[in-house]
Amino acid sequence: MSGLLLVVFDLVLLVGLLGVAWRCLASTDLFRAVVLFITFGLLLALAWVRLEAPDIALAEAAIGAGITGALLLVTLERLRSIAVERRRGRPDEPPDPAGADALLHALHDPPPPRRTFVPALTFALVVGGLMVTALWHQPDAVGLEPVVDEHMGVSGVDHPITAVLLNFRAYDTFLELAIVLIALLGAWSLGRYDRLPARPAPGPILPGTLRLLVPVAIVTGVYILWAGSHAPGGAFQAGAILGAAGILLVLARPRDLPMAPSTPLRLGLAAGVGLFLAIGVIGLFIGPGLLGYPPEWAYPLIIVIEVAATLSIALTLVALFIAGRPAGDDH
Amino acid sequence: MIANTLTVILILAGLVFFAAGTAGLLRFPDVYSRLHALTKADNVGLGLVILGLMLQAGGPADILKLFLIWVLVLAAGTTAAHMVAQRTWTHGEFESDR
Repeated sequence: MSGLLLVVFDLVLLVGLLGVAWRCLASTDLFRAVVLFITFGLLLALAWVRLEAPDIALAEAAIGAGITGALLLVTLERLRSIAVERRRGRPDEPPDPAGADALLHALHDPPPPRRTFVPALTFALVVGGLMVTALWHQPDAVGLEPVVDEHMGVSGVDHPITAVLLNFRAYDTFLELAIVLIALLGAWSLGRYDRLPARPAPGPILPGTLRLLVPVAIVTGVYILWAGSHAPGGAFQAGAILGAAGILLVLARPRDLPMAPSTPLRLGLAAGVGLFLAIGVIGLFIGPGLLGYPPEWAYPLIIVIEVAATLSIALTLVALFIAGRPAGDDH
Repeated sequence: MIANTLTVILILAGLVFFAAGTAGLLRFPDVYSRLHALTKADNVGLGLVILGLMLQAGGPADILKLFLIWVLVLAAGTTAAHMVAQRTWTHGEFESDR
């Protein structure tokens, strides 16, 4: 009975995912597309829960739906203010089909008239058929689960996902951290911090809620980081929660938030990659190889790397949200 | 057995509130009454679902976590509703899609 219900639930989830993804891609109204993207992220997090991967579900809900969604919404707001400004600069000129007017139009566009579905349907059938054929002939692989279970003793932690991420496949995680840092450097190279177009909301309700939510978010983030060694959790999830708290602060008080001092900020942003690399290189010289740890030191080293990575991820997410180098930092 | 029956009843009652809230969000004419419908779903509907889940919880720690989830959603939902209402009050209704 409950098995059948779960199959029905999975099918509804699958259809919902495909439907929302299609509506998101087909939407010509950018705001609608962003809202659908956030919905898609939340449904995808549910799908990860059904695949028994709560780690990835947490990260997907926090980063994929929450923070990316907020980033996209702020981008829309910036685009709109840029477009309005440009048009105000030249009121006499005729509307330019490729310029600011087109942008404003795309920001809030009514859905186009319905077109024929035949090409899309044919494409979907062909690709779907290919995927089914490809999946049909899979060898009966048992996966890496037995291998991981066998080596849990030397990993230094009790949770298989953390063991894979920070010990057996530390290389992947290190590169992920590096990519996050490079993304931020890319954003910083594009320009200086400029103020968010949002206005602080008057009244005591928002500051009051922040006073309640931000400490809870910090406690939750630290708990999730600590839980990572024996249960679902870890640096990326904890960093996402702490980063979300920072973004809430930035969004709620864009005027009087003091900028972080430059040197500690940079040290914090690079701490994850830097410590990971330093410990990895030490491993190269004392025996276990690049990005390997001596088994008796694995637990403390993994904790150190996780703490540094959490700090860096949280700071990077907030910095990416603000977009641009800190103000007064011109050199 | 009694706990399971109570759970089913409570969660079904919660779902009724969610359905009513969703119907209100889709059908009510202006922003304020839509918000009114939506907060009922968030507060009472989620409260009933959480109450039902508490009967299935493994221990006091789980019950406390469930309660915390409800309180946090209450706080966040109230603030969001307040901000949407305030923006509508100062800037007028959002652009209609139709």
